[in-house]
Amino acid sequence: MALDNQSFVNRLRSIVQDVITDDERMSVYETDGLTAKKQLPGIVVLPETVPQVQAITALCHECNIPLVARGAGTGLSGGAMPHRQGVLMVMARFNQVVEVDENAQTAIVQPGVTNLAISEAVQEFGLYYAPDPSSQIACTIGGNVAENSGGVHCLKYGLTVHNVKRLSVVLPDGELLILGGPGYDSPGFDLLSLMHGSEGMLGIVVEVVVKLLPKPPGVAVLMAAFASIADAANSVNEVIGAGILPAGLEMMDRLATEAAEAFVGAGYPTDAEALLLCELDGVDEELEAALVMVQDVFERNRAISISVARDEAQRQKLWLGRKAAFPAMGRIAPDYYCMDGTIPRRELAAVLDRITELSKHYGLQVANVFHAGDGNLHPLILYDANIEDQLLSAEAFGSDILSLCIARGGTITGEHGVGIEKINEMCLQFNSDELRVFHGIKKAFDDREILNPGKAIPTLSRCAEFGAMHVHAGAEKFPELDRF
Amino acid sequence: MLVDNLEALTEQVAATSKGGRSLTIVGGGTKTFLGNPPVESAMEISVRSHCGIVDYHPEELVIRARAGTPIAELKQVLDKEGQILAFDPPDHSGSATLGGVVATGLSGSRRPYSGAVKDFVLGVGMILHDGAYCEFGGQVMKNVAGYDVSRLVCGSFGTLGILADVSLKVLPKPETEITLVFEVSLTQAKQQLEALTRQVSPLSASCFVDGSLRIRLSGGQASVLSSRSALGGEETSSDYWNLLDTHRIEPFLGSDEVWRLSTFSEEPFDDDEFALCDWAFAQRWLINPASNPRVGYQGAGHWTRFKSGNQNIDGEVFEPLSSVELALHKRIKKVFDPNGLFNPQRLYRDL
Repeated sequence: MALDNQSFVNRLRSIVQDVITDDERMSVYETDGLTAKKQLPGIVVLPETVPQVQAITALCHECNIPLVARGAGTGLSGGAMPHRQGVLMVMARFNQVVEVDENAQTAIVQPGVTNLAISEAVQEFGLYYAPDPSSQIACTIGGNVAENSGGVHCLKYGLTVHNVKRLSVVLPDGELLILGGPGYDSPGFDLLSLMHGSEGMLGIVVEVVVKLLPKPPGVAVLMAAFASIADAANSVNEVIGAGILPAGLEMMDRLATEAAEAFVGAGYPTDAEALLLCELDGVDEELEAALVMVQDVFERNRAISISVARDEAQRQKLWLGRKAAFPAMGRIAPDYYCMDGTIPRRELAAVLDRITELSKHYGLQVANVFHAGDGNLHPLILYDANIEDQLLSAEAFGSDILSLCIARGGTITGEHGVGIEKINEMCLQFNSDELRVFHGIKKAFDDREILNPGKAIPTLSRCAEFGAMHVHAGAEKFPELDRF
Repeated sequence: MLVDNLEALTEQVAATSKGGRSLTIVGGGTKTFLGNPPVESAMEISVRSHCGIVDYHPEELVIRARAGTPIAELKQVLDKEGQILAFDPPDHSGSATLGGVVATGLSGSRRPYSGAVKDFVLGVGMILHDGAYCEFGGQVMKNVAGYDVSRLVCGSFGTLGILADVSLKVLPKPETEITLVFEVSLTQAKQQLEALTRQVSPLSASCFVDGSLRIRLSGGQASVLSSRSALGGEETSSDYWNLLDTHRIEPFLGSDEVWRLSTFSEEPFDDDEFALCDWAFAQRWLINPASNPRVGYQGAGHWTRFKSGNQNIDGEVFEPLSSVELALHKRIKKVFDPNGLFNPQRLYRDL
């Protein structure tokens, strides 16, 4: 059935009040955080109840209509990019913290609750929700599950998947399934984990039970400036090698530091090639011992300056610059393209060197601001979309960075997801047998492939087309497929 | 010892696949008691010979090893670098393998405090039904490319494929570790644990049996000692936890019918209802029950028939799935193993 069929629209309206069909009102949904990709949806619906989500999903399933779920639309890989011939289901109305269980240290929340709102809602109990993506004031927990979001604190406290106990999920045929349970495990396959990072391809999350943690009694942030990227990178490895697990360990290069400092005045030194921010937390005795050890490592690696922020205001100020690093790029370039590869930490200095070379090759500046402790890079490629071919150059540059990450034993995406953005690079990371498994999993959940079609997992023919240029370890990845 | 036996394994899989028989995957052979018995026509395939550490850089907090590597060997190698497997893998008689631990998804005493085996699996290499070797996940801390197959296979009991190698996140070894024992009532034990979990504490294990609450404290020396002096109690051997995790202490000794309830700590129960409770009361054990405890159970959580020795009890090993869940499991099984080659029926008789 086609989307413009009036009976389909009427049936949607009989399920849910808010059905938007005019292009002007739908234009706010044409993109997510990956603003370079725009697409108007066919129809937008804003359900308010789980039965409505089930009925909408079942209807789309029955009529073979693509269905894309959207949280706050802060995703950086185009995962929530709408389908022109499909329905966009906006989960914004599911914005309630349903229940907080102080003793069990869990909260039941609806998927449209923002990440930060969870921590705010449980603050009075001395608890918080640990994963904290930079977009936490806006991004929703439903989206966090779909992307398996990370953040500054995941080195010590894990990703979304480590902090969710139970999910209620609407399957593509409208069935409601509970994954996970009250205990620490549940029978059968670990579908709870599988749902995390599945990018809206397998089901629609309608309720999340998150694990909460007691707030650490002591927190301190160290800031250290270095004259070379290599010194900073070595420090990162030595801190972790010394048996210290920082709550966060972030690196910014000179360009990123300068931009952030000019933007918010966080007090960053602007004469250094690399800046490290290291957050330590825990009970007082342990915190003090770790502080001494980390300072020691920084000094040994020729830090130019080291400062320690202990009170809340000082710490927030240091983090402010880091969290504002992305928007700060707006001051030096009209557009930026944020990459998300992860590499083994020991490759940090070499990979950053190579990115500098690529930057010269493409004639595009790049600022690096990233989760150094996890080896999760966020090179920001600066460009101007109004200059002809600059976006194409930026995309080619980005693709080269992702290939580099794979070659160094890493991955094309640490926390932003594949979406539409990195669909070609999936062909570099996975061979046809592996991609067939992914497609099989998709079909096992969604036999008609109505959920978020065209995202996350490339078709084999797409890879054949893209892969023609790429030879991995001397062997073509898709020798059995025709070339185009 | 580093032996690459991948080629022989894939050949055996491909040959069996053509021959129409099924395979029973064996590692150290230490957990054959758990799950449904193999079907009679199945042939054994041993992964034990595909072993050794492939890659280990301590500062990366990642170790990659072949599935046949004994857990004991992994622990030893990590210990030299001051690191641990933070999910306390139950190391049955020293011969449990990495592949077996991941396939059965078993975690030990640290589970409530630092996570399960699936929380530390970063990537796997596995052999599929047609002999193809596939890699999912990787060797880095964060990786969201593709569906999370490496966590899906944790606890799948070999029904999806043969694990060939696994990459695990490891953690620094705590500077100090002590175990304390308290003679307390059930109510007191619950209160004491609740108080400890309400704040950041070095608690890393807990067990209540026979009026004794044991807890383990792990962390920096200063914080462990300060907790210890605040808590009181008697210090006792930390060897207890490995013995507990592998059921080599009372009340498990010699028992052949053992049931496990996995629930949340707050689920109410009677004083003498369970033989032993660990994981902060979230894991509860029944020894030699007279009947199937799953029948008529109204509370939260799910039961596993951990050891099935009493012929008079009729009860599935794993909690039966709903029809929607089972249908989904069958479809997923079919993706990996369309002809039912790997460990048929081990997890569920219909799978």
